Amino acid sequence: MTERVYRHPLVVRITHWLVALAILVLTMSGLQIFMAHPALYASDASHFHSPVFSIFSDVDASGQAVGKVQIGRAVFTTTGLFGWTSDGMGGQGPRAFPAWATIPAYRDLADGRRWHIFFAWILGLCALAYAVWAFKLFPTKADVSELPEALKEHALPWKVKATADYNPLQKTSYFAVVFLLVPLAIVSGLALSPSFDAWAPWVPALLGGRQFARIWHFAAMFGILGFFVAHFMMVALTGFWNNLRSMISGWFVEERS
Amino acid sequence: MTLRRAHFLGLLAASSLTGCARIGTALTENETFHKVLDAPERLNLALLGAGQPLAYEYPDSAISPDFRHNGFDPPSDPQFTQWSRNGWHGYRLFVSGLVDNPTSFSVEDLRTKFTPLTQTTRHDCVEGWSVIGKWRGVRLRDVVAAAAPKSDAKFVVFRCLDDDGTGTKYYESLDMRQAAHPQALLAYDLNGELVPLKNGAPVRLRVPTQLGYKSAKHVGKIELVAALGGENGKGGYWEDQGYEWFAGI
Repeated sequence: MTERVYRHPLVVRITHWLVALAILVLTMSGLQIFMAHPALYASDASHFHSPVFSIFSDVDASGQAVGKVQIGRAVFTTTGLFGWTSDGMGGQGPRAFPAWATIPAYRDLADGRRWHIFFAWILGLCALAYAVWAFKLFPTKADVSELPEALKEHALPWKVKATADYNPLQKTSYFAVVFLLVPLAIVSGLALSPSFDAWAPWVPALLGGRQFARIWHFAAMFGILGFFVAHFMMVALTGFWNNLRSMISGWFVEERS
Repeated sequence: MTLRRAHFLGLLAASSLTGCARIGTALTENETFHKVLDAPERLNLALLGAGQPLAYEYPDSAISPDFRHNGFDPPSDPQFTQWSRNGWHGYRLFVSGLVDNPTSFSVEDLRTKFTPLTQTTRHDCVEGWSVIGKWRGVRLRDVVAAAAPKSDAKFVVFRCLDDDGTGTKYYESLDMRQAAHPQALLAYDLNGELVPLKNGAPVRLRVPTQLGYKSAKHVGKIELVAALGGENGKGGYWEDQGYEWFAGI
């Protein structure tokens, strides 16, 4: 027996797709911006000789251009993907990220910033509109106690049954994205603004300084992208069209036994 | 999931990203869409650019060992070189435009005729890096006031002595309110010594509440104008290349 359930109100459906678009654009334009100085420092000012992470191009023993990624003391060769990669003009060149991963495809810090700041507003406004509704995502005591059970169930993700109501794992992960990761992305992004820092110098201080805020900004990006992968997988495995429809028209078909 | 399926999904992801990058590039080049992208700048100026909050001032222990520089080479014309060899004798900072009292100052005048101010602040480059330096100089607003601006003066334009290598000179601008910020400085010393050539000698602007490109180096002339546009372009060399005039973010 099946039943049609109105699962997502309009505000959720609209903000969901706007946020999805914003995350895509913010990631790709963010990579464009990072290419201008692809290095992270665990401090307030930059210690140029000791980045905790950097992407650069180099020349190997045979005189060949190579791309490198440095994480702490480890250096990896990443030619073709990071450091020395497609330049968006048919060739390869010294670029942190390939042209297909950035907006615009070619090197353009000014326009990368325009895209990034425009969609930062979209994300921020959607987060505000969504947050009011999303208070129902606050995990209850029951959710917390049922979390281990839900985790066990998701160990075999293709056996998970989608229900109109969110299960405790769904609630917890949506909660983490809405109330932790996206706010961290927004706050760490604001901490990079010298005008914002004049208003609230305690914000970059709390994050370990302006350069450290860049690390938090990237951590938030990785967290959100990690969520996206898991989210997409679960949507695909638990009835792709039914899930998709419920985020477009609002209606979800639930199987009742 | 079979290997073939994983391969297919990987290809799908890569090609959709390529598609997004292409669409993004095409939209960037569309004039109407670009105006939409530019829209938040006014909002940012109205919100983050409001008021006169002070940039955080650091203790001396936070000063960066080397104040990194970026941008153009210092001027290399014979006159500038001569000034630089003679301890900046002969150099004058002109203040003109919509003022009742066009005037000019030597570096020595700046040192002796105005109240000096020292600030150890962070310099944030649009590229993403930051350095901290201890600047000494005079408040921009004091120098502007010395020229007695007329009431229709709305912007302060900084005409610089350095160029991009093709002859286009660097310039920047602030509105009157930004120019009146208590930390907007015309600096002649960095970390206890004359401002080095690479950092904008003999006099550079410091605007610690905005990105580094607002802090014009090698300032030769300060011009008060009623509006930007015309020879004042979009208000700065980098603004003319598409960067925001309000560089607070």
